[in-house]
Amino acid sequence: MRILVIEDDPHLLRSLAATLREENYAVDTAEDGEDGLYKAKEGDYDAIVLDVMLPRMNGWEVLTRLRPARKTPVLMLTARDTVPDRIKGLDAGADDYLTKPFDIDELLARLRALIRRAAGQTHTVLEISGLKLDTAARTVTNADGEIALTAREYALLEYLALHRGEVVSRTTLYEHLFDEEDSTLSNLLDVHVSNLRKKLGADVITTRRGHGYSIA
Amino acid sequence: MKNFLQSLRWRLQIWHGLLLLVVVVGFTLPTFHFARESQTQRIDRDLGRMERGLIRSLMDVMQGFQTDPSKPDYRQDRPFMQFSEFSQRITTQPVQVPPTTAAQFHGREPGYAYFSIRDKDDKIILQSENAPEDMRFLPIPASDFTEEARSIGNRRETARSNSHGLKVVVGRDITPDLQEMHGMATLHVLIGLGVWLFGLIGGWWLSGRAIRPIRTISETATRIAEGNLEERINITETDSELGQLSQVLNQTFERLHDAFERQRQFTADASHELRTPVTILISETQRLLKRERTAEEYREALQTCGETAQRMRRLIESLLLLARQDGQTRKEPNSVCDVSDCLRDVVSHLKPLADERHRQLEAKLGPAPCKANAEAISILATNLISNGLQHGGNVTVTSCADGGEAVFTVSDDGPGIAEADQPHIFERFYRADQARTGSSGHSGLGLAITKAIVDNHGGSIRVISKDGQGTSFEVRLPA
Repeated sequence: MRILVIEDDPHLLRSLAATLREENYAVDTAEDGEDGLYKAKEGDYDAIVLDVMLPRMNGWEVLTRLRPARKTPVLMLTARDTVPDRIKGLDAGADDYLTKPFDIDELLARLRALIRRAAGQTHTVLEISGLKLDTAARTVTNADGEIALTAREYALLEYLALHRGEVVSRTTLYEHLFDEEDSTLSNLLDVHVSNLRKKLGADVITTRRGHGYSIA
Repeated sequence: MKNFLQSLRWRLQIWHGLLLLVVVVGFTLPTFHFARESQTQRIDRDLGRMERGLIRSLMDVMQGFQTDPSKPDYRQDRPFMQFSEFSQRITTQPVQVPPTTAAQFHGREPGYAYFSIRDKDDKIILQSENAPEDMRFLPIPASDFTEEARSIGNRRETARSNSHGLKVVVGRDITPDLQEMHGMATLHVLIGLGVWLFGLIGGWWLSGRAIRPIRTISETATRIAEGNLEERINITETDSELGQLSQVLNQTFERLHDAFERQRQFTADASHELRTPVTILISETQRLLKRERTAEEYREALQTCGETAQRMRRLIESLLLLARQDGQTRKEPNSVCDVSDCLRDVVSHLKPLADERHRQLEAKLGPAPCKANAEAISILATNLISNGLQHGGNVTVTSCADGGEAVFTVSDDGPGIAEADQPHIFERFYRADQARTGSSGHSGLGLAITKAIVDNHGGSIRVISKDGQGTSFEVRLPA
């Protein structure tokens, strides 16, 4: 999952990015509205965390300019907590709203919910061919018990599971699993996929040559 | 009852009622008294006439005249009889009362008349058959005669005695007159009551009208007290006392509302400004505690937390400073200080900061005495100069005395302030670039504090700036 964080306070930005990375998200950052809008339009993100008070272009404007073109779920962060402010944010196209100060766990839960909903899922537990994928606990279990996966392997499996039935191209996968600071080679994807097949069984992930991967 | 007496309207009404009652009674009592007096006089005149008629008829009998009042020549051509002679003759020589006269003094019908003539020993000479027992005769005077009129029960009689030894009482029953008087008294009371009631109703209406604006004021004030601070009293007549009161109250409400609004805005802004640093602290600590970290990671996170805490401390200090300025009532500071001395101190204090940023900090200071608190002036100057160093570039400070005012300017050659921002720069937490600058070291309250200090000293501050051509703040303080 790849997330864009737009926040002008360097300390908060660093802290949020670090937190999200530790949760195995690929994280891009922007420190002002213009840069944020540019990245949000160019990149393919699973969610955007957007602060309201930003230099150059405020959060609402970023949102209104982004909206017709992109359906990326947006979580607004703001220090304003009055009802009119929330209404304004939600009406401008925000998908969720979080008032500062917030608990980091709540932010993570809301982000998971946003990503799940954007993918058309309603449950935190996904079931794929005898496997249970718990997106909240980040665990995969089969009849024998929990299967140990690395963070990247889990992220790859989760993305494919959330988009089950679709053929996900390698580029898309690459974009959603690695952020701008990653310099990993794209062939690492094949390594992760083959490792996953070893752990879960060969038939869970199917390869469509020339198109990408999918989970049925 | 307590409520009645506390109500202005009721108190007005009670006083008005009492006053009106005094006026009504004061008018009707003398009128009634006068009417009764004139009635008594009329009765007395009546009695006198009857007495004279009686005496005349007796004299006629004595002189042997035909006493027939129906004859036209009755009373004419009769020799005059002295009253002394009549008194003499009547005591010695008894006479009969002629029947026409006797008919007048007869019976006990309401309004009946009676008489009694006695000699000096109270022996009855002549008396009507209906004369009551309790007639009172006057004693015989030494010379001439005495007379007296008096009321006994529902009778009125006149008594007369003369020096010739004759006592006469002529009286009359005045029951019909008393009844008439009674009727009149009832009428007076009714009219008086009517006028009084009419006055009371009128007074009630008038006091209601007079009090209506007060009720409007009180209702509005109640709504304001309930929290609707935007409510104002609807003033219809501005010239009346209540209209003026309403205007004063409206101005008070306006100021209250402004102060309240400022306070509310300030609290909102302050909490808003504190939210981000608190978020950083929570986010960093929660992230850190999720798992074991290396010493380097701990150090980094603690540094972030420490910087954030410092930022909060600066903000809180600024807020307290501002709150203290707000709390001060605008009173004349009694200490006199020279602005140039304060500025010299501040400049030497800030010189290292300017050097660190490779900026020039110049001072051209002339003596500028004014009534001010030196500490406040130092805060004011520090804010303006560090603001200039922060946003601008090289800073020049000047001071001089100008016609009863101490004037000092802080100018920089920085990028200036956009015209659209200039009216707002003294507002709390206003930032020209819309972004929070918390991490760069200032709270967004510096100029607001400056303005509050200048206002507290009764001075003025203005900004002269053009985009790209530097900024100059000019402060004027009364000497």
